[in-house]
Amino acid sequence: MVASAAIPDYQSAAYRDAFSRINAIVIEGEQQAADNYIQIAELLTDHREELLALSKMESRHKKGFEACGRNLQVTPDLPFAKKFFEGLRANFQKAFAAGDVVTCLLIQALIIEAFAIAAYNIYIPVADPFSRKITEGVVKDEYLHLNFGQRWLKAHFPEVKDRLKEANRENLPLVWRMLNEVEQDAAQLGMDKAALVEDFLIAYGDALAEIGFTTREVMQLTAMGLAT
Amino acid sequence: MFGLIGHLTSLEHARSLAYELGYWEYAEQDLDFWCMAPPQTLDEIKVRSITGQVIEGRYIESCFVPEMLSQNRFKAAIRKVINAMAHAQKNGIDITALGGFTSIIFENFNLEQIRDVRNVSLDFKRFTTGNTHTAYIITRQIELAAPEMGIDLKRASILVCGATGDIGSAVCRWLAYHFPKADLILVARNQQRLQEFQQELGTGRILPLTEGLPLADVVVWVASMPKGIDINPTELKHPCLMIDGGYPKNVSTQIQHPQVRVLQGGMVEHSLDMDWQTISSLPDMNILERQMYACFAEAMILEFEGWHTNFSWGRNQITLEKMAQIGAASVKHGFRPLLH
Repeated sequence: MVASAAIPDYQSAAYRDAFSRINAIVIEGEQQAADNYIQIAELLTDHREELLALSKMESRHKKGFEACGRNLQVTPDLPFAKKFFEGLRANFQKAFAAGDVVTCLLIQALIIEAFAIAAYNIYIPVADPFSRKITEGVVKDEYLHLNFGQRWLKAHFPEVKDRLKEANRENLPLVWRMLNEVEQDAAQLGMDKAALVEDFLIAYGDALAEIGFTTREVMQLTAMGLAT
Repeated sequence: MFGLIGHLTSLEHARSLAYELGYWEYAEQDLDFWCMAPPQTLDEIKVRSITGQVIEGRYIESCFVPEMLSQNRFKAAIRKVINAMAHAQKNGIDITALGGFTSIIFENFNLEQIRDVRNVSLDFKRFTTGNTHTAYIITRQIELAAPEMGIDLKRASILVCGATGDIGSAVCRWLAYHFPKADLILVARNQQRLQEFQQELGTGRILPLTEGLPLADVVVWVASMPKGIDINPTELKHPCLMIDGGYPKNVSTQIQHPQVRVLQGGMVEHSLDMDWQTISSLPDMNILERQMYACFAEAMILEFEGWHTNFSWGRNQITLEKMAQIGAASVKHGFRPLLH
């Protein structure tokens, strides 16, 4: 017996309807990531080149996911996606305005990247062949982004530790809310919520541990707001 | 460095341990939450062999609980095992034992087909089921405890329940080789597999459990059953030695009969110094100081000897030579079969 996911019917109306929102979230997520790295580059001028290169990479990913939508002849529901990211977006802009690079990095380079990696990992086994190829390429890149935020925060761990905890408290509960919002659509695509959350907790937890938090702190930070 | 992948015995146990350790976020959650929980390195262990050699290891809590199987949360159970293995490998652990249910899940769900876990490509050479050492320890328990009860193994009837399993088949091979005149009774659920195994072994007779049990001087329990069975000690032969090496325990009855002795199979005692940072401070875990599962001990032995390879892997692969090899190293480093 092998635990293989059932392959969905990519052409069914229900699948395409759910895909219009999930695909839009991915496109919008990559767009915001591209924008966020440009803004982070303004705060971390020493790393400007690297951050602008990351931003370009995100734009490329966006184009790839737009092609996935076109391939299934689905129009992404972008207004839905904009609303979906509203909370995280507002928090990022608030932190940027205050010159708070730690919160900006936590939101973009840790939370959003870990969320993207988890979603892509869980999506790949159930994706249509075209989207699978695109997504596999993207996942490889995403691990690099997570590395940038990790490296910077690790190098400044003693002075950023408390701010990270605070930023985690402010932003992680938003992620759980966002996940609940798309649980049904994700299920329609064959993606299991528990698997998605577990994968996120692994990617996010690994990043926090690498930065310098202890196992105990990681368990507390990642579970923040998860229990309902 | 060696690793041990373990799990707790029930959701209730998991919650109380989380509470003891101060992980409030985990302590009050239901099964859904544990199905999402990622693996954690819960402890660092320093072990000193009686030879003086010191090694280091990690205990990885898989966050698997048996309720995931009884409530059909198979996907979650599989994720716990695979993710714990990826966690061990990512953390640079050279040899890791799959403890308790985790090796059973690995085998029953054919998880060797899953190689790639996120950005980790699992290297199965870094993992062991620990079954060779478990089988060795069970044979030592038979060899040492039977004569104490006046049972002559050369002429005894020895029943192995779960004869076709990885550990059961190894124990049968050992018995057939060392006690060729003994009456070996083979019991297992899958009759086709059992007949094939009997042919391969070239000895032993196949009986249903209920028929074989009253005939046996020694009963070795190594079946994988969802829950233990009730035994009436008056229906057993007297004396009778029962070695329960099943996981979970195959015998549910607390047997109190002067002529029946039940040993915890596949458990070792040891004279090694083991320094567990976290776990041994907990009320029901201090036993680790002196006793442990033989499968966990195998990871330590492999680390001591620098045998960084999947010493025990797959089904029905355990040879007498490998049992002797791990046995010699087990004695060398201070492990003994549990005999009380």
